Amino acid sequence: MRAKRWVRYTKGLLKEIGIEPERLEMFNMSSSMATAFAEAVEEMTRRAKELGPSPLKRKKEAA
Amino acid sequence: MIVGQRKPFDEIKSYVDGCQRILVLGCGTCVAVCMAGGEKEVQILASQLRIAFKEEGKDVQVDEETILRQCDREYFDTLKDRVDKYDVVISMACGAGVQLAAELFPHRVVVPALNTTFIGIAEKEGVWSEKCRACSNCLLAETGGICPITICPKGLVNGPCGGTNHGKCEVDKNKDCAWTLIYRRLEGQGRLEKIREIHPPKNYKVQTTPATIWHAAYREEEA
Repeated sequence: MRAKRWVRYTKGLLKEIGIEPERLEMFNMSSSMATAFAEAVEEMTRRAKELGPSPLKRKKEAA
Repeated sequence: MIVGQRKPFDEIKSYVDGCQRILVLGCGTCVAVCMAGGEKEVQILASQLRIAFKEEGKDVQVDEETILRQCDREYFDTLKDRVDKYDVVISMACGAGVQLAAELFPHRVVVPALNTTFIGIAEKEGVWSEKCRACSNCLLAETGGICPITICPKGLVNGPCGGTNHGKCEVDKNKDCAWTLIYRRLEGQGRLEKIREIHPPKNYKVQTTPATIWHAAYREEEA
């Protein structure tokens, strides 16, 4: 519960500085939940591809 | 303790836009406990600023420092030689700390990162509530240790008023009536007769602004 709160707070911090909060996520699972882990990795990979490079990198490339 | 809340990031950043060298200065006492201006919060704000400036393609130096207390001069000693190299100091202390920093470094711009909110207590992790208005004329001995000046929105010294409703306040139904709390506390202590005592109007004359107090041991020496 505590980590969930802090992840939500950190998403807000990222949003404040113009970084998409979707880049950060918390998934609940135990160490034996391999399928859930793989799905979480896939989800984050999908999001990363969809969002593209981070705003910081985009700026650097544009310069 | 003194409770504060961090200002919105955009407001803080607007204070330092155009600066090249920034010091984010934390305070390790009250505002560290209320997770607003201690070492961790300094790290968070400094990181946010670095990322935000980088996004804008600006090369800005953002340094971090936290001292034990910003309301005591001696804790600033370690900073005296370093502050001159910064354009601006962002103080994450309460209003008192910000003002002392500004007084000690008059040639540097000192800006606040927090809104100082109240004197209060921790209710649970991440939640604080106001308990004292620093009125210079404490009534807690008469009121079972519950402050009617702070807890009652009307600040009544003789209560309750006609607006008390099943232990809740007419001003805000979600809040307890201070005088009901006082009644129950005194009842539990077997001192209910205290509630019948009429308190004279509160002496607001002693609540001077700005107030200065001298500890009795030091008063004579300075006189």
